[in-house]
Amino acid sequence: MIPAMYLAGLGAILFCLGLVGVFTNKNGIIVLMCVEIMLNAVNLNFIAGALHYGDVTGWVFATIAIAIAAAEVAVGLAIFLALFGERKTIVLDEIMRLKH
Amino acid sequence: MTQITAESQRKFLFPIIALLIGFPLLRHYGGIFATGTPFTALDSAFLIPIVPILIFPVIAILGQWYAGEEWWRERFKEGGMIALGALAITLSLTVWLAIEFFTKGGTCSDEVILAKEACEAGGAEWIPALFAGFGNWFSFDVIRMQDGGSWALESDAFGIGMWIDNVSLTLLFVAAFLCFLICWFSLGYMNTDPINKDRNHRFYAEFVLFSAGMLGMVLADSFLWLFIFWEIMGLCSYLLIGFYYERPSAAYAAKKAFLTTRVGDVFLLIGLLMLYDIYGSLDFAVVFDDPSTGVGGAIVSAGAVKGAMLMLFIGAVGKSAQFPLHVWLPDAMEGPTPVSALIHAATMVNAGLYLVARMVPFFDVGHGGVEGIGDIGILIAWIGGITAFMAALIAFVQNDIKKVLAYSTMSQLAYIFTGLGVSLWLFNNGHHHAGALAFGAAMFHLFNHAMAKGMLFMASGSVIHEMHHAHHEAHDGDSEDHDDFDAQDMRNMGGLASKLPITSTAMAIGCASIIGLPLIGGFWSKEGIIAETWAATALHGETWLLFPAFLILLTAGMTGFYMTRMWMMTFAGKPKTEYAANAHEQTPWIPTPLVTLSTISLVGGITLAWLGATHWLGDGEALGHAIHADGYAASLLNTISHAFLPDDFFILLVTWTAIAISLVVGPAAAMKIHGGRLAKGESAPRLIAWILPLSTKFGKADVTELAESGFADALHRRLFFDEWYDALVAKTMIPISAAMAWFDKRVIDGAIKGIEWGSIRLSMNLRKVTTGSASDYILMAVVGGISILILLWGVI
Repeated sequence: MIPAMYLAGLGAILFCLGLVGVFTNKNGIIVLMCVEIMLNAVNLNFIAGALHYGDVTGWVFATIAIAIAAAEVAVGLAIFLALFGERKTIVLDEIMRLKH
Repeated sequence: MTQITAESQRKFLFPIIALLIGFPLLRHYGGIFATGTPFTALDSAFLIPIVPILIFPVIAILGQWYAGEEWWRERFKEGGMIALGALAITLSLTVWLAIEFFTKGGTCSDEVILAKEACEAGGAEWIPALFAGFGNWFSFDVIRMQDGGSWALESDAFGIGMWIDNVSLTLLFVAAFLCFLICWFSLGYMNTDPINKDRNHRFYAEFVLFSAGMLGMVLADSFLWLFIFWEIMGLCSYLLIGFYYERPSAAYAAKKAFLTTRVGDVFLLIGLLMLYDIYGSLDFAVVFDDPSTGVGGAIVSAGAVKGAMLMLFIGAVGKSAQFPLHVWLPDAMEGPTPVSALIHAATMVNAGLYLVARMVPFFDVGHGGVEGIGDIGILIAWIGGITAFMAALIAFVQNDIKKVLAYSTMSQLAYIFTGLGVSLWLFNNGHHHAGALAFGAAMFHLFNHAMAKGMLFMASGSVIHEMHHAHHEAHDGDSEDHDDFDAQDMRNMGGLASKLPITSTAMAIGCASIIGLPLIGGFWSKEGIIAETWAATALHGETWLLFPAFLILLTAGMTGFYMTRMWMMTFAGKPKTEYAANAHEQTPWIPTPLVTLSTISLVGGITLAWLGATHWLGDGEALGHAIHADGYAASLLNTISHAFLPDDFFILLVTWTAIAISLVVGPAAAMKIHGGRLAKGESAPRLIAWILPLSTKFGKADVTELAESGFADALHRRLFFDEWYDALVAKTMIPISAAMAWFDKRVIDGAIKGIEWGSIRLSMNLRKVTTGSASDYILMAVVGGISILILLWGVI
């Protein structure tokens, strides 16, 4: 049995990688993928907790999170499609609508 | 302008008389329906100030709506009839109250709890005929610091009630009666002058509010309410003096009156706070109960009371136009003439006197007064003496008929102040009887002066009105013709005795009353003041009072001069302009008040003296006491012989000196300069016809040289008081104000501007953070989130 601590540590590393990816990448799709990595890092943490305490709640949470993440990706991709249709780009630095 | 005929006056008489008689009856028997028992005058007394206060907005609002409408102008006299009705109600209630006072007064009444307490506590001793002090209708609570620094709630600390005794009743009657007559006069004076067309409602609205201020002040049962009504009067005097606000001089005079009296008011407020600090209350019933013990039974210090009295007196000085705050009064003549009559006879200037009269309990050492504050009495007497002399001196050279009367008012008020000051000194040094006499004489003079001066102002208004009318007619109604003609300048008058018979007779009687001609009006009271002042000096040995005593004796002669001069310049000799030759009495409403007040001036003084008004006002001895004891003829003889032949030889000497200089020296000098027969074919009314030939008996003196001297010039310029004040203001107030302005501009505004500038710069810098890039925002959100986490971690 892998100790829960290792799972939690892997989750933390994945989360940080995802975070750095969100900051550094300018491409919207890659940013979305990094967000997915962060989500799954959190899922891993839930599972680590579930293993450690022997409680089923963590499994349930992880399952729901995966389902919602699928929906979220669909919405995110749809937004990017619409944005691309309007702006002909999905490079985030070129879409500074919030400023103006 | 429609000419108002004499018939139209008669048409209005019926409702007014019905209101005068009917309202008290209605109120009296209305009580049966309301409570089962008839209302007494005392129950109704609160209506006296309330009715005019309620009528004030009615006239103002209706006037705004209907100004210019024919029925409003003809039927309601632009609000004048409503005002007259309200004042008729107050007058009828006042008379009713007076009747009840004389039939039931002087006892500790059961129906009025507070009065009973004050009465039984001995508070009634020094205001002997205390009739009623109402309890509070509503009251306020205050939080007051206790000894030791804790705070406690005191309930019923300030309440409104009523205080009716012989002094307040006298002033109440004077105010209500004169306000009614002056309003009557105004219907003729204001409504027939085209310059006032369609704006008289403003005049009448302010007029009734002014009356309410005076009536309420006289009835107030605490210094706080006295002060509030006092300020209502201050406001209304500003509004009324500035009635012709389109004239810069009127606007300036209004401001001057307001600001000058304001100086006094600030001191009055300080005085009231000092009193509250000493006694823990401003109610008359509490304060007067035992002025020598303060809040919590502590013995008050004479110094503190002296300070409070001084502050109160400065307030009175401002209101009653005494030296050195007298400068506003002559300028106040810019208002319409009825306003002058209102302010200078019926109401405002009497307010200061009333306040000083209310200071008696503090001084009366025989009845709980504070010992050792008699210096204030001497100060009051000095201020009175100086003002009397100075005002009479300035009145010598005035050519404006109203200005002469204004200075005369100042001078006569100063007499009353002297009398009150002397009485306060006498009270404080244990001479209760003499003090009461001086007090009674001063209050009696207030009555006589108010009646005579109210009438003199209205008579001068009649002269001005008819002169103006004659000028108007001579120019064929062309009101655009603005030549330099001044309808108030006595140098344009002369010979009016035959043209204005009622006015000239009334004015002669008024002058006689003010001069103090034996047996007429003011004689009885003025002699009393002079005699008591000299008595305090000579018999009671206060040498400090010698100066005011000397000044007021001298002023008696000067009064004779300037009043005679005014009458002679206006009515005697040949007309000096064509307008004076063509003037004639024609305006309705004007003669009635003149005749009424002439009668009172002529016979009122002697009647009241006979009834013993001085003793009643001073000691509370019942009116008619002497008549009751000695019979009619004997008591009349007694009164007269006492006036002319006092027991004390020294006082006899003073009395006859005063009579000699006021009756002979002053008038003769004036006649010598200004006297003269009327033009051929003109005849004066019979009552005064003998004066005109008499005035030529003294020969003719040419005073051109004297009139052009530097001294006369100084008097013309009012002894440079305005210049002095201007210089004083330039030296003190303006630099201080400039420094304040600099401080405001640089420091206060600078701080505000600094904050403003700083926030602008900060915002500009902060704005750069807003890049618009989504990843930057995420970075900020993460940094923020982590910071919060770290913070929470640190706390936990």
